[in-house]
Amino acid sequence: MSATLNRFGESKTPGKTAGVSPLDGIFSPKSVAVVGVTNTPGTVPFDIFYNILSAGYRGTVYPVAPGKRSIAAVKAYRYVVDIEDDVDLAVIVFPADVVDRALQQCGQKGIRAVIVISAGFREVGPEGAKREERLKNICADYGISLIGPNCLGAINTDPKVQLNASFARKMPLAGRIAFLSQSGALCTAVLDYARDKQIGFSKFVSFGNKAGVTEVELIEYLHQDTSTDAILLYLEEIREGRRLIDAARRVTHGPGAKPILAIKSGRTIQGAAAAASHTGSLAGEDAVCDEIFREAGILRVTSIEELFNAAILYAYQPMPAGERLGIVTNAGGPGVMATDAAIREGLLVPRLEESTRAKLKATLPATANTKNPVDVIGDARADRYMAALEAVLDDPNVDQGLVILTPQSMTDIEAIARGVCQIARGATKPIACSFMGATDVAPGIHLLQSANIPHYILPEWGCAAMAAVQEIRRWRQQPLDHPEPLPVDQAAARAVIDRAEEGYLSEDQALAVLSAYGLPVPANHVARTANEAVAAADRIGYPVVLRVVSPGIVHKSEVKGVVLNVGDASAVRRAYDEILSRVAAAAPEAEVRGVLVRRMIPAGHEVILGAKRDPAFGPVLMFGLGGVFVELLKDVTFGLAPIGPASATRMIEHVKAFRLLQGARGGEPADVAGIRDCLRRVGQLVSDFERIAELDVNPLIAGPSRIGNTVADVRIRLGAGGNGESE
Amino acid sequence: MDRDEIRRRVTKVVCQVLNVDEDMVEPGSHFVFDLGAESTQSVELVAAFEGEFDIEMEEESALAVQTVGGAVDYIAKYVQ
Repeated sequence: MSATLNRFGESKTPGKTAGVSPLDGIFSPKSVAVVGVTNTPGTVPFDIFYNILSAGYRGTVYPVAPGKRSIAAVKAYRYVVDIEDDVDLAVIVFPADVVDRALQQCGQKGIRAVIVISAGFREVGPEGAKREERLKNICADYGISLIGPNCLGAINTDPKVQLNASFARKMPLAGRIAFLSQSGALCTAVLDYARDKQIGFSKFVSFGNKAGVTEVELIEYLHQDTSTDAILLYLEEIREGRRLIDAARRVTHGPGAKPILAIKSGRTIQGAAAAASHTGSLAGEDAVCDEIFREAGILRVTSIEELFNAAILYAYQPMPAGERLGIVTNAGGPGVMATDAAIREGLLVPRLEESTRAKLKATLPATANTKNPVDVIGDARADRYMAALEAVLDDPNVDQGLVILTPQSMTDIEAIARGVCQIARGATKPIACSFMGATDVAPGIHLLQSANIPHYILPEWGCAAMAAVQEIRRWRQQPLDHPEPLPVDQAAARAVIDRAEEGYLSEDQALAVLSAYGLPVPANHVARTANEAVAAADRIGYPVVLRVVSPGIVHKSEVKGVVLNVGDASAVRRAYDEILSRVAAAAPEAEVRGVLVRRMIPAGHEVILGAKRDPAFGPVLMFGLGGVFVELLKDVTFGLAPIGPASATRMIEHVKAFRLLQGARGGEPADVAGIRDCLRRVGQLVSDFERIAELDVNPLIAGPSRIGNTVADVRIRLGAGGNGESE
Repeated sequence: MDRDEIRRRVTKVVCQVLNVDEDMVEPGSHFVFDLGAESTQSVELVAAFEGEFDIEMEEESALAVQTVGGAVDYIAKYVQ
């Protein structure tokens, strides 16, 4: 899509960012030195230089090629420091082992933006990692913004710049979409794909090993870039999850918001299985990433197709006011398929106003269907399509239109495409098309794509793209909250945690920590004798639960270390003795510190509140239903700790079984506000104490509001040493 | 063969293979960074040194030599 109008139909100003950014040197340099150029076409060092020339770069380019008088008829320099004029950007294409020398000279020359295309760094092992460290140090010494190493390069299609500092074969078309990729090779495939679909780009950059500039700086830069409406991101590895999430929230929400659509590959669950806690085993990197991206407004998709399907709709069509879809089709079957897909994707296919239906009846043949989806019948030509589409878009119940066409012998494909383009030019509601087929419909598709009207081979893909745009719209309407600290007794928790060794806290210790943070912990006491247990039970009130206390026993029921619903003193005495003898038989090596006596908790829904430390995102919270079945059901959501009330509410509402908590099938609604409060307190606890490696409150018994919630079991695993408190 | 002779003949070979002027070639000159050798030219250089000095060098270690001075030292081990 090559037109230079933005999605509001305004003429765009060429790509300038507000203020001066260090990345201006990367994307809009007035002069570029390509360092390490050779004279051999078909090699990266030559092609990069040649691509800059042939793309029509508007600045000055200098080849740095020791031993060569000229490259492609342009005077060459032995060293970058030999160039008489100022240089804004250096693109280093030397082999890895001399890149540091070239970078050092760039620093001496005063160049503050560098792209290192060369491979042979962190991605090849320890030697390469050392080389990369040297590059980082040089960049720090000279204040250089570095893209790469091990990348394809950067492209800016702005007509005032026209820079293709990459080894992509062709300069892409200009457009409103920016594409950022950790993979260089994928970029070339994406460029080829996009050209076929006439999709243009504002900026295109592969950031490789991200030794300097990362996706975080890039999305922040593109947020300010007036030629970019949507940001597409391909990520393989997240190193600074918190920074990414904070930046994404700023970019995707509030004034000047732009959507970020991302493919995060590496959907691995390796390592998760080894974790002992429920949270550890459920909170695999990928599941956490899914949820946390959503909480940052990053729309995660799984394929390049999906990425562009949504992006072109967002970037080139107006934002719809809601989910309601009007469908115009010349074939009943695809209309039904589209309706099914729309409903499945969470869109609505509304009933049309009577006045709309009257208009349709006046223009369509008697056999046509004037209900939504509107079937204009197989012999429809452009006039009938246009009348129907105009009527449907005018309907106040419709927020967006989908035009479906099947190539029948009477179908004037190009005229219909032109008609759709004409309507789209003046429309305030988005239009997408699905001209189904391949060969016959190709000229029509070409016309649509040239006019920035998103086209999808299958109507289902169009519906999925519309649903993605709805997700962007809804995200912007949601409040973004900031986690305010709740009043807690941090000193009391610290007193327990600082004294404890690495490993699991005993149950009484864990309950004391939760209690200090204001979680609803039932009255309890650790008894060392049967008499002490009876005295505790008398004090707490019957019925009670008796549970073995042993740091070595994580799953108490497996060693029969739990007796429920103990009703009187003699039963307490009996249960106490039974627990000790059963545990001694099942786990003779375990150190038993006593038996915890606590109040029997009234029945309710079993939910889990968990926390763990994610390598990329830091402390992460988990919520789910199911208690002991949580790993079977996998009905869990994740969020970043600490967490604010709005995000905590979303975590609770997004589990599939949320309706159970709302009181499905006549049940009494659970104390959801209380669960939210517990989640926030757990989030605050794991944020305050870096030593907490994993935490499971499982189950929290979620009772109705009149009773409230109660912690029924908890496991807290501490990491080694430290003062227990995070900064 | 003395070191000056080796140095003179190494410089001659480097100028021929990399097509550079003699005044660019110094003992500290890096084949790639200072003289612009491409990866295929490194192999050509090794072959040309072998022809010039009538020696057979161990390829992996020969290719690891990065400077003109390094090449002089390396070849000296074969011819002295």
